[in-house]
Amino acid sequence: MEKQQHSSGSDSPVLPPVPRKPQILGGGIPASRQDSEDSLDSPSGSHVEWCKQLIAATISSQISGGVPPEAIIRECKVSRRPNLRQVFRDARKQVPMDEVPLVPGETIKTTVKDVMYICPFTGAVTGTLTVTDYKLYFVSLERDAPFILDVNLGAISRLETIGVQSHGENTSGMEIVCKDMRSPRFAYKKEEQNNVEILEDLTKHAFPLTNELSLFAFQYKEQFPEDGWKVYDPVAEYKRMGLPNESWTISKINSNYEVCDTYPALLVTPTSIKEDEIKRVASFRMKHRIPVLSWIHPETQATIVRCSQPMVGPTDRRCKEDEHYLQTIMDANAQSHKLTIFDARQNTVADNHKAKDGGYENKNFYPSMELIFLEIPNIHVMRESLRKLKEVVYPTIDEPRWHSAIDATHWLEYIRLLLAGAVRIADKVESSKSSVVVHCSDGWDRTAQLTSLSMLMLDSYYRTLRGFQVLLEKEWIGFGHKFAARVGHGDENHANSERSPLFVQFIDCVWQIMRQFPTAFEFNELFLVTILDHLYSCLFGTFLYNSEQERVEKALNSKTVSLWSYINSQPEDFTNPFYVDYENHVLYPLASLRHLELWAAYYVRWNPRMRPQMPVHQNLKELLYLRAELQRKVDELQKEASSSRSISSSSEHAYSPSHGGTPLHSSV
Amino acid sequence: MLTGSKTTFKVRQMVPDMKERMMSHSSLLARGRDVLGLCCLPGECVLQRAVLVRKKLSAKEGGGWLSGTLFCTHFRVAFVPQDSQKPDDNADPVLLGDHDVALASIDKVVAVGPSRTKLVTPTCSLKFTPEELVLYCRDLRVLCFLFDRLTPDTQAVEITYTIAKTYQPLKPGTIISFQNAALGSIEMKQFLSNRRRDPTMNWFESSLGWEQELERTGATGWRVSSVNDRFEMSTSLPRFIVVPQRVLDTELKKTFAHFNEGRIPRWCWRHPRGSDLLRMASFQNNIYHERDDIRNLESVLFGGQQLCVIVDLGEEMPSPADIQLAHTRLRTLCLGDISSSVSVPDDKWLSTLESTRWLDYTRCCLRKAAEVACLLRGGHMTVVLQEPEDRDMNCVVCSLVQVMCDPHCRTVAGFQSLVQKEWITAGHKFLSRINCHRESDKEEAPVFLLFLDCVWQLWAQYPARFQLTEDYLLALHDSVHLPLFSSLLANSQRERCRRSQHLPQSYTPVNGLRELPMGGPEPSVDPPFPPVWDWALQYSSQRRVRFTQPVSQPPCPPPVLNGNLNTNLDRGWHSDGLLPGSVFLLSRSTFSHPSNLLPWRSGNSGSYWKSHRRAPSSESVSGLERLIRACSLSEPSENSTTLHDPYEPLLPLLLGPCVRVWRSCYLRGALHAQAFSHPVSSCSQHPLEQLSWEVQQLREKLAQASNRRPENQTKRQEPRRLESNLNQNANNGTFLFSSSSRTSQQQASPSRGVSHSSVPPRAQRTAPDLPGPAQRNNSKHTFLFGHQQEPQSGQRHIPSPSAKLPKRPGNTH
Repeated sequence: MEKQQHSSGSDSPVLPPVPRKPQILGGGIPASRQDSEDSLDSPSGSHVEWCKQLIAATISSQISGGVPPEAIIRECKVSRRPNLRQVFRDARKQVPMDEVPLVPGETIKTTVKDVMYICPFTGAVTGTLTVTDYKLYFVSLERDAPFILDVNLGAISRLETIGVQSHGENTSGMEIVCKDMRSPRFAYKKEEQNNVEILEDLTKHAFPLTNELSLFAFQYKEQFPEDGWKVYDPVAEYKRMGLPNESWTISKINSNYEVCDTYPALLVTPTSIKEDEIKRVASFRMKHRIPVLSWIHPETQATIVRCSQPMVGPTDRRCKEDEHYLQTIMDANAQSHKLTIFDARQNTVADNHKAKDGGYENKNFYPSMELIFLEIPNIHVMRESLRKLKEVVYPTIDEPRWHSAIDATHWLEYIRLLLAGAVRIADKVESSKSSVVVHCSDGWDRTAQLTSLSMLMLDSYYRTLRGFQVLLEKEWIGFGHKFAARVGHGDENHANSERSPLFVQFIDCVWQIMRQFPTAFEFNELFLVTILDHLYSCLFGTFLYNSEQERVEKALNSKTVSLWSYINSQPEDFTNPFYVDYENHVLYPLASLRHLELWAAYYVRWNPRMRPQMPVHQNLKELLYLRAELQRKVDELQKEASSSRSISSSSEHAYSPSHGGTPLHSSV
Repeated sequence: MLTGSKTTFKVRQMVPDMKERMMSHSSLLARGRDVLGLCCLPGECVLQRAVLVRKKLSAKEGGGWLSGTLFCTHFRVAFVPQDSQKPDDNADPVLLGDHDVALASIDKVVAVGPSRTKLVTPTCSLKFTPEELVLYCRDLRVLCFLFDRLTPDTQAVEITYTIAKTYQPLKPGTIISFQNAALGSIEMKQFLSNRRRDPTMNWFESSLGWEQELERTGATGWRVSSVNDRFEMSTSLPRFIVVPQRVLDTELKKTFAHFNEGRIPRWCWRHPRGSDLLRMASFQNNIYHERDDIRNLESVLFGGQQLCVIVDLGEEMPSPADIQLAHTRLRTLCLGDISSSVSVPDDKWLSTLESTRWLDYTRCCLRKAAEVACLLRGGHMTVVLQEPEDRDMNCVVCSLVQVMCDPHCRTVAGFQSLVQKEWITAGHKFLSRINCHRESDKEEAPVFLLFLDCVWQLWAQYPARFQLTEDYLLALHDSVHLPLFSSLLANSQRERCRRSQHLPQSYTPVNGLRELPMGGPEPSVDPPFPPVWDWALQYSSQRRVRFTQPVSQPPCPPPVLNGNLNTNLDRGWHSDGLLPGSVFLLSRSTFSHPSNLLPWRSGNSGSYWKSHRRAPSSESVSGLERLIRACSLSEPSENSTTLHDPYEPLLPLLLGPCVRVWRSCYLRGALHAQAFSHPVSSCSQHPLEQLSWEVQQLREKLAQASNRRPENQTKRQEPRRLESNLNQNANNGTFLFSSSSRTSQQQASPSRGVSHSSVPPRAQRTAPDLPGPAQRNNSKHTFLFGHQQEPQSGQRHIPSPSAKLPKRPGNTH
């Protein structure tokens, strides 16, 4: 994170003293590390909250780390009270090492002084650079306000040495190209031994897998009151959808990952299909990813089924079992006599795949099916698009040519394609009451994007904080989106063509829907940014590895912490105060370029000129405080009144705290 | 006292005329209601109707379709939803219902048939029965009506024809008949003449208005001059102008000749830190400067300050022609090429948007205004905006600066006063720029719309710092295209005065205005046009409730006398090199002091300022530059402190992604918009309103509880005190009532009290015809200014649901 703390001593009025759950600020931090004066200084409670929001929503990746509350609090304090800043500064001079905030389990590897951070926005600053096994931390006290830059090592894509002649003879430069749309540059003196090591240390810990170390998630020792690994229970989730029922069964055929090693252990398949039939279908589908149920409409029984492409090949092979299988899926829904197959790929590409043993369902052999190509380009196109986007947004923005530059990246166009595809799927299921099959090539990239987006539109449960976690666990993590390959956790090979920002693209789509339906989601923007930050950070085990099988092998659940543990331990930070639960409402976002917007709060967040505005929801949060406070006072007065005149006060009445279905979240 | 004043108000006299008799014969349904529920205006008659029509609702309206009956009268196209409530016969007439559009706003009529779309003109004939009727409006709305299969074909065809024939493509003359259709009936005239003007806003039509403004901003050293009372000095300036106190009227009269159109430097606003904002036209060159003249010119320019910065708005700002071109392109982009096809290609949207340059111009205005705002923050200088004519960009920048710096200008009343001050009375050529008569095509330019877009940008970036809402800005945007308002139908105050024939009479000039050269009675004088600010005339109460935020920032902080707020913040620029009497030019974000900046100083026309001819040091230039740098690159940290200081300007973010399209205005009617309904329905109550209602409830209960215990007075005081702490705490400059405003209200500041307590009654009028939500809306005003009204909580209109639950606390606890 990069920020310049303000030094003004303006005595900003403090907010009402509202009793807060200590857990909010403590965030599971061991008490010894907790600055009790800070976190329990109640008048600052919501101001701190506010600062957190303000800083975190745009700049920080630190807030989403394990320790953030404390760190941010201190920073807020620093900024609010100049005298404290002085203290802070003095303390730093004495024991500088202590000032690097560490998460439990994190250790400092190298510290180098007199490093220059070449900030593209405010000019170069000199300070101390610390490398731990989790992050790179740069602090400069040169300016009036402390300047802090914090980069999670997991976010580093590659390290490059650069020429920095302008900063002196014996200086070497280093550019840290990050996956999260920034590339900070540093310059440091060559001669000192310490300084030579810094690049080595950085490389070693930024790419632990390449250097035969373990990912930091295995060292992370934070304790959270919530256990995020318990968020997703497949049986409970299928039960919520009303499964199993007469047509669909929860099959254990893949419990040892024998049928398909990239699928989860539990699959929902048509009841009437026998095991050996499934195995024959599996041999006809790419990577054995057979059609399985993702979602079922509670009323019409129309289903969303996902799979990989059929291995038709150049000779137009057929598979009777596969045809029967899809027929069964269609028959399971009495409402419609058609089954729509959405192939996410471009038609021409799908044709080409035929030559490579892939292909698509032949209409002649699947008579009652309708095949629709959604014309979405592949992962390489998306990677290139995001690369171009980074060039547009970092470090400088060409103001007059901004829009055409964004146009040229095609990023929004691909977002539109995805949204439009998902809307078509959702509409097919909801309006035509017809079951759909979604696949692309392997059924783990575009398929995951499309199914999860359409499920998000169809099912309001997935729009809650917990529901969204379930959706990710199920459609992405469970069904084997290759996170390790696509993100490249701990891997030095930045040019690997397997890498692609498909998950970022998906989260962007969610943000676009959220922007169009601001009250329909229980979670907020910070939640999405946090998810993306920890997609790279390797702090939590949630997004590590490619498949459920690998995760079970590595015993992630017991050896690492889940991101949801962190999120669900302080849900207040991630909830949208405007949320209204409109049950059974289907969202159809406008999938038109003129109604999409670049997610500037994520892609352009490093630019200080994008400084956050006052968050609107802060208004509401303060109102919520006020309500809580007033309510407390009403209660108090009533108690008092009833005790003083216990009999005569017939006109007094208790305030019912559950005042008629307020669609608001009281939790602040 | 902020507001235009009761003293200036006078009931308008009815002017008998011939026109109305001509009109009355055509009013078949005088003051009546059509059987199908259309509440006609007096004199309005229904020309055609079609039943079983569905209207496509915009995303803001909740999306989906609404079925009802479509009408075409000779004033508007009206749509009455099936299940709409019976209108109240005794209610005041409202020009436009929630789903109506005035004929004058319609730009194109398109009929969509089974396989084709056709632009319907008054002369063409339809060869098919339209299934869908699309009305493209000048205000960029697109209304789409779908005929049902059960709609009689003749009705569908006929109403399409009728609309096409009556919508009056703009040309000279048609506007007058439209105006007469709307306001020409006797009843309407009578009704209009009896309307009271909004007393909460400052109309700046009397010297009192200006005096109130001087007092409000705490400006000293300035006075209101009536030297232009008969528009003899300058025909385009208002009757009253504010000039330095030490310049006498006789001296002042000599300065007019030195400026283009006689638009001399006039005071507009004082920054709380003590700087004054002025505006003027360009200098008249080739004029001999007498020694006395120079002294007066210098005085007028400097006011009481030592330093003067002239901000040049002539060169780098878009010209009216640029703005017109950009707006035309933007309209084409947003509405598409109507005649060829209804749908608009979606690809290259952003590039095309960029090439309209509309957003560039928006950014340009905001940047300039932000620079000026930062400059004013420095204190102790006059900042003079200079534009050759002083009637376009000066209006934009001058008012934007005030929106940024003055919280009062972000309330509805304050904003209206601002527009009144910097646009309407200042002589922005609304008539020519809007060009609704099609008489000034070359001059047409939506400068005012550009300003509204800029305000929207500010609003979108700092929504909680505004009391007014996007709905309000939209309403104003749309009104610009409705040629019915006196405010927008003249090029100067002089024209307006001549037109209306009855001037505000607070100041009775000797011999009055009858001596003005009248140029013969104009035929278009009638009917009496209302001001645009009379929103009740245009919009139903439900919609007006949405003009203000349910929760807003505190009413503006009390004026600081002498304007000398803490100025120690940015004293850095006050370097020694600064000489009293220095003049700088701010142009293209840099300061300079060209020798010919002031024509009288450049020549040999006197030695008056000889002692100051020395060039100011470069240090002072860099000091000034440091001041405005804040606006180009505000560090992130700065925001959190400035957020709490009501005097800190709202500096807009101008980075590429931050200047956005005003989607809810320009893309309101996008036809490719979905026809599915979705949860964000503005018809349902917003959670924020719900919440503020609940807070209000609790507040009342608290008051009740404390009132019910007369035996212990001390305890009764306690909650109030607590609460004020709470407010103080919650204030943060972001919202809610500030304790400062409270004290100022208690201190003898009746004006403030009046202006605020006048809000709730307006809202209360909405209550009877609305179910729950509206009543709750109502409470938002009382909530806003809760302090004042606390004692009267018993009289509050809101039914307290909990009052029906008399529970003994002993039972529940």
